[in-house]
Amino acid sequence: MILAPFVAALFVIALPPQIGVLPVRAMAMVGALVALAANCYILAGFDRDGAELQFVDTQEWATQVGLEWNVGVDGIAIWLVLLTTVLFTLAIIATILRPPSREPQFLMLLLMGETALLGLFTANNLVLFYVFWEAMLIPFAFMIGIWGNEDRREALMRFVVYTMVGSLVMLVAVVGTAFVARDVTGQFTYEIQALRAVDFTETQSTLLFAGFALAFAIKLPLWPFHGWLPRAYGAAPLLVTALLAAVMSKAAVYGLLRVGVPVFPEGADNFTIPLLTLAVIGIVYGSVVAWRQDSMRMLIGYSSLAHLGFIVLGIMAFDVIGGQGAVLQMVNHGIVVAASFAIVAVISRAANREMIDSVSGLSAVAPRMAYVFLLVAMAALAIPGSNAFVGEFFILTGTFRWHVWAASLATIGIVYAAIYMLRLYQDSFMGPLRATGRATDAELTVKDAIYMAPLVLAMLFIAFYPAALVGATEASIKRAVAPAQIAADRPPEDIAEPVVPNPPPAVQPLPGDEPDLTAEDAGAPR
Amino acid sequence: MADINIVAATPVIIVAGTSVVTLSLGLVPWRRVRLYGPLLAAGTALIAAMVMSGVLWGDRQLAFDGNIRADRFSLLLNFVFLIAALAVIMFSWREPASVDRRGEWPSLVLASTAGMMLVAGSGDLITLFLGIELLSVALYALCAIEVWRERSLESGLKYLIVGAVGSAFFLYGLAMLFGATGSLKFSEIGREISQQSLANEPFLLAAIALIVVGLGFKASAAPFHMWTPDVYEGAPTGITAFMSTGTKAAAIAAFLLIFQGILPGVEGDWQAAIITIAVASIVVGNIAALVQRNLKRLLAYSSIAQAGYLLIGIATGTIAGAEATLYYLFAYLAMTLAAFAVVLIRERQVPDGERLESLSGYWRTSPLLAVVMTIAMLSLAGFPPLSGFVGKFLLFGSAVDADLAWLAVVGAIGSVVSVVYYLRVVGVIWFGQTDPEREERRLGPVTGATVVGVTSALAAIALTFATNPILDVCRGAAESLLAP
Repeated sequence: MILAPFVAALFVIALPPQIGVLPVRAMAMVGALVALAANCYILAGFDRDGAELQFVDTQEWATQVGLEWNVGVDGIAIWLVLLTTVLFTLAIIATILRPPSREPQFLMLLLMGETALLGLFTANNLVLFYVFWEAMLIPFAFMIGIWGNEDRREALMRFVVYTMVGSLVMLVAVVGTAFVARDVTGQFTYEIQALRAVDFTETQSTLLFAGFALAFAIKLPLWPFHGWLPRAYGAAPLLVTALLAAVMSKAAVYGLLRVGVPVFPEGADNFTIPLLTLAVIGIVYGSVVAWRQDSMRMLIGYSSLAHLGFIVLGIMAFDVIGGQGAVLQMVNHGIVVAASFAIVAVISRAANREMIDSVSGLSAVAPRMAYVFLLVAMAALAIPGSNAFVGEFFILTGTFRWHVWAASLATIGIVYAAIYMLRLYQDSFMGPLRATGRATDAELTVKDAIYMAPLVLAMLFIAFYPAALVGATEASIKRAVAPAQIAADRPPEDIAEPVVPNPPPAVQPLPGDEPDLTAEDAGAPR
Repeated sequence: MADINIVAATPVIIVAGTSVVTLSLGLVPWRRVRLYGPLLAAGTALIAAMVMSGVLWGDRQLAFDGNIRADRFSLLLNFVFLIAALAVIMFSWREPASVDRRGEWPSLVLASTAGMMLVAGSGDLITLFLGIELLSVALYALCAIEVWRERSLESGLKYLIVGAVGSAFFLYGLAMLFGATGSLKFSEIGREISQQSLANEPFLLAAIALIVVGLGFKASAAPFHMWTPDVYEGAPTGITAFMSTGTKAAAIAAFLLIFQGILPGVEGDWQAAIITIAVASIVVGNIAALVQRNLKRLLAYSSIAQAGYLLIGIATGTIAGAEATLYYLFAYLAMTLAAFAVVLIRERQVPDGERLESLSGYWRTSPLLAVVMTIAMLSLAGFPPLSGFVGKFLLFGSAVDADLAWLAVVGAIGSVVSVVYYLRVVGVIWFGQTDPEREERRLGPVTGATVVGVTSALAAIALTFATNPILDVCRGAAESLLAP
C-alpha cells in the first residue's frame, strides 16, 4: 500500500534523460499524483480512532541483523505523509510551470526527496528511519549545490557537515538502542513499536534520547544548532528553501514525537527543561532576527525557526492537547511556509534580489496578490480564526498547564510574528508604489494561482474545520506521550492513557492481523 | 592414500590452464586471433570457472589428497576473484598497453587469479603459500607491464621488493606454525591446537605474529601499507583495480582461513594483533586520504581504510563477523570496480585523467558515469541505503556483538572522516566548473570499462536489496570455514 508512491517515484528516476522534457514532466507528475492518490486512499480507509500503526507493510531485508522493511502510518504520520505528497506535487507543478535549467534532473531530485521523506514518515524500524534520514540529505544537497546561488558551495558544506554530524550521533544511538534493548529483553530488534515496550534504565534512556535529540535539534534546527540555516536557506533555490522549511524540518519534529518521546520517556523527561528552554529561545530569537532581516526569504526563514520552536514546545509539554496542537501546527506551518515562499517568489519578480525595501505599494497594481498575501500573513501570525491560531492555541494551552513560564515567554513570539509579518506586508504592499522591476509582475498570474490555490484552500479548510485533523491524532498522541507523562510524575488523572505495560513482543499480534481497533478499546489497557 | 578427485579442483585448473593457452594464442601468426583471441579465451575461461564454482556449490569436497578444498567458503570467494578478473579483462579490451602484449596480459591476470583461488581453496600450508606467491609474482609483472612508463616500472619494482619481504614473513610464520604443530594440513593443525592446549606457546605466538605481518603486507593494512599508494598510482589502472579487489580479497580470505578456520581455539592470542592493524588501517587510511588530489592515490588510501573495516569482522572471531566480512567483500568489489572504471575511462579521455580536478563538472559531459562514480563514492562512504552502508552496519554490528563496541566506534568515526574525501569527489563532479581549455581526446576505448562501471554501480545498489539471500550464502560460507 505505502509502497505505491515509492515504486512510482523510482520509475521516474529510471527514466532516461534523453527523451525530451515532456515525457519527463509527465512521468514526474504521474509519480507525484500516484503518491497523492495512494495517500488519499489510505486517508479514506484510515481508522481515525486507532492508536496503532495502520496499513503496515513488512518485507524481509536482512532479518539476521534485525533489518526489515516495515512501514505504516498512525494518526500522526498520516498528516505528515499527506503534507509531503501535497507539497511535493505542488512543487513539481511549480517547477514545470517555471522550469529551471536542467529541469529533468531537478524533477528527479525532487521525486527522490519525496521518496525519502515519505519513507521517513512511515518507517517503523529504526534503521529504516535512519536510512531515509540520510537519503533525504542527498537530493536536497544536490539541489542546493547545483541550482543554488553564488554562495552555494559554503552553504552546502555547512549544511552537509552539520547534518552529517547529527546523523552519525543518531546512528550510534540507533545501534546503541538495539543492543541495550537486547540486553534488557533478550530480543534483538530495531522495530520502533517493539522498542517502546523496553524498559530502559534512566541513564540508558537519557543517553540514547540525547543522541536522537541532538540529531533532531540540528535538522530542526533548534537554537543554537541553526548555524547552517541562514546560509542554506539563503543559497538554495527558493523552491528548495520552501521545501526545506516546510517538509524537511518536520522530519525532525516528527522524529522527536515518534522516536524520541515514546521510546525514551525517562530520557525525554530529563531533557524537558533544556529542550523547552531552547525552544523558547528559538522562538524569541527567530522572531527578533526575522524582524530585522532585509531579505524576504530570510524573514520567512527565520520566522520558520520560531514556529518550529512552538512545535517543539507542544511536543515536550507531554500533554495530549499540546501534542495535538504540535501535529496540527506541523501541517499548518508546512502549508503556510510553502505559501509564504511562493508569495516571495511572486513578489521578487518585481523586487531586487528579494530585498524588502526594493518594493512598496504593490497593492495598487497587484490587488489579488495583496489579498492572498494578507490571508497568508494572517495565518502566519496566528490571528484568531486562522488555521495557525488553532494550532498555536492548542500548543500554548498544553504547555501552560505544565510549564507556565515557557508558555508565557513563547507568547512573545506571537507578538513579534505580528510585527514582522505586518512589516513585510506594509513595506511591500502599502505606501507609494515603487518597484525595482516592473511592478505589475508582482500580480498573481494563472500559473501562480495553480499552485497557490490549493495551499490557500487547505489553510481555509483547516481554519474552519481543524477537528478533521485533530480528531484523528488523539489516540496516537495519547499513546506517544503517555509513557513520558508517567516518567514526569504527573498526577494519575492527567495521564492520557492508563499505565500500559506493553505485552512482550512475542504475544503482540503480527502486523496485518491485528483486529481493527475501535473507539472503546483504543484508550483501554491492552 | 592419494585421493585425486580432480573435479573439485576444476575452477583452478580451468583458469591456470587457460593462462597457458592465452600465452600461446598471443603468438599465433594471424593478427586477428592475436588481437582478440587471448582476451576472448580468458573471458571464456573465467566464465567457465564461475559456472564450475556454481556447480560444485555444496558440501566440502577435497582434491589432491585434501590439498585443495572446494567448499562454500572457497567457492564464494572464487566468485569475487573471477568477477574482478573478468572486469580487468573487460577494462583491457583494446587497451593500448595490451596491443603488442596480447598474450601476456590476460595470461598473467589468469595466473594471478588462479593464485587467489588457490589461496581460498587451499587445504594445507604449502598450497596456501603457493597461491600467495602465484598471485603476487604475476602481479609484480603486471604492475610493470607498461615498460615504456617509468612509473609503471617503479611500481612493479616497489611491489616486488615489498611483496617479497611480506612473503618472507608469511613463509616464516607458516614454518613456525608447522614447527608448533608438526603438521601442514589445516585440519590436523586445528586438531593439534585444540588438543594440546597450545595457547601462549611461544612458537605459536611467533607464528601468529609473522603471519599477521605477512598477510598485512598483502592486504595493504597499516602499518604495512607504505607501498600501496605508489604501487597503485604507478600500475596500469586496470591492474590497480584488480589489486585492490582481488588481492585484498585473497589476503582477507587467507586471514579468515588461518585465524577463523584453523586457529579459532586460541582467539586470545591473535585477536589483539588483528585489532591493532585494523585500527591502524582505519586511522592511517582515512587521515592520509584526506589530502590526496590524485584519484588513484585517494583510492589507494581508501582501500587501506577499507581493509581495516574488513579486518574488524575477522577480529571478532565469530561467525557473524566472518559473514559480515564476506558480505562486505562483495559490496567492496562492486563499489571499487565502479570507481576504478570511471578513473580508467577518464584517463583515456584526458591526459591528466587521474587527477581529481579532471572530474570537475564531469556530469555535464557524461552524466551516466558521473552517477556511477557518485554511487561508488557514496557507497564507499557508507551512505544508506547503498550496500557499503549495509556492509559496514553488519561489520560494526558484529563487533558490538563480540563485545568490541569500541572497535565499532573507531570504525564509525573513521567512516565519518572518510565522508569528507569521498564527498569531495562527488562535489567536484557535480558542483565543479568545467574547464573549457581541457583537451578532450580519445586515448583508448571506453566501452568495456563503461559496462563494468555501470554493472558494478547497479550491483552496489542491488546488493542492498538482496541482503537477505546473500547473507544466507555468506553464512553458509562462514560456517563451512569452521567445519572440521
